[in-house]
Amino acid sequence: MLRARDVTLSYGGEPVLEGAGVELDAGQFVSLVGPSGSGKSSLLRAVMGLQDISAGTIETPGLARDEIGILFQDDALLPWRSAVDNVALGLRQRGASRAQAREEAEGWLERLKLAGLGGRYPRELSGGQRKRVALAQVLALRPRLLLMDEPFASLDAIVRARVTQDVVNLVESEGIGVLLVTHDLEEAIALSDKIYLLSNGPRARVSHEYPVPLPRPRALIAARTHPKFAPLYGRLWNDLSEAVEGPQPAREAA
Amino acid sequence: MTTVFDRIWVRQVTALAILLGLWEAAGAAGMLNPLYAPSPSQIGAALVQLFSDGSIWPHVEATFAAAIGGLVLGVLVGVMLGAAAALVPLVAQLLEPVMMMLNAVPRVVLAPLCVIWFGIGLGSKVALSFVLVAVLIFFTVYTGIKQVDRRLVERVRTLGGSSWTVLREVYIPFVAAWIMGNLKVAVGFAFTGAVVGEFVGASRGLGYLLSFAQSTFNAALMLALVFLIMGFVLAIFAAAGRIERRLLRWR
Repeated sequence: MLRARDVTLSYGGEPVLEGAGVELDAGQFVSLVGPSGSGKSSLLRAVMGLQDISAGTIETPGLARDEIGILFQDDALLPWRSAVDNVALGLRQRGASRAQAREEAEGWLERLKLAGLGGRYPRELSGGQRKRVALAQVLALRPRLLLMDEPFASLDAIVRARVTQDVVNLVESEGIGVLLVTHDLEEAIALSDKIYLLSNGPRARVSHEYPVPLPRPRALIAARTHPKFAPLYGRLWNDLSEAVEGPQPAREAA
Repeated sequence: MTTVFDRIWVRQVTALAILLGLWEAAGAAGMLNPLYAPSPSQIGAALVQLFSDGSIWPHVEATFAAAIGGLVLGVLVGVMLGAAAALVPLVAQLLEPVMMMLNAVPRVVLAPLCVIWFGIGLGSKVALSFVLVAVLIFFTVYTGIKQVDRRLVERVRTLGGSSWTVLREVYIPFVAAWIMGNLKVAVGFAFTGAVVGEFVGASRGLGYLLSFAQSTFNAALMLALVFLIMGFVLAIFAAAGRIERRLLRWR
């Protein structure tokens, strides 16, 4: 579904990423973790076509351009449009009539636990509700590949856990492939089927790849207590610390 | 316990009434020379006189025509030039210095020049109002477009939006909000242009009446006209405020 090979990416000077490769199969949940400045978000933007690459290839075999959706850290909702109109915006671009788009948008808001809030402007919604609207906006377009750039980083712990669990349920039930950028190692393990660790930038590359041996469907809280969670967390922590600060003494797995 | 004086407007109206009462009393006691500082009742009488014989209406009409003409033209041209400058770098390079120079000049000094160019009729007043408003709106739109949230543009693009969609869904509402925020200032500028233009050279208008009152040393008429202009502009501010609140209720 996604094959990014030998991707080099720069903003004019030294490359941020050099020779990075990422693969994602249909319905798979893959996370990118790594130090700040390692080009995680840039790679995600390049997959979406928002960022040019200097070398390498990014292919999405079997996927049309409009089957890829992206969710940013900022919800970036139009402040002058109500929640339902924000969700309907993309549907209108796909040719739906105003009435059809609004009806479908209302349905998505309901699925994301926002029934009755469609008429509110973004400023009238909480951070978690705005995030759900942004999610509805993307999911309403039925993407087969969803790119997420630390989408829940700004939410408090409880809201974040709830929204994240809802996302997992939705992508599992719809069979959507996800490429997630996150700084949170626990989140990466709890959500993913595979994790890529990027080395320190500039000239960052994929230094490690970890399959996540946790069963699906995933309950995020339960996943954290799975016996295979802690050893993987320990490995990831050590490798990430090494990437940031050089070789570290091995961390005891719980 | 709450009383009627807890309301801000009650306190403000009371303070104003006390001030007018003191002013009137000082005039009645002979402490103020009515030639320079007429009492509120004399100013009120001048106002009543203006309205009772109907002589004020042609002047009100002339001032409103000039101010609204200048406001409409100034907003239209300001929006077009501001948008062109923000979107085409060459236009910005050419226009920005001109606008900066115009902005640096106290633009009311252009009033005599407008009279020379456009005569003492409506044209010179519209022209002065137009210059005052257009420069303000130019900078409003120019700055507004440059400050459009790039994340919103990207969001609309990633939802499949075309350039036209980005313009309609992001740029126009964003810049409209900036213009609405400056509409009250623009209305004030438009009236300033109209009245100053009439003051410098005209045969009709509130500015012309002010000039007439000055030349006849009629302080009561002058103050009556000042309060009248103030009332008109405040009424327009209130209307503009209502429109702003309605259109920008998403804020």
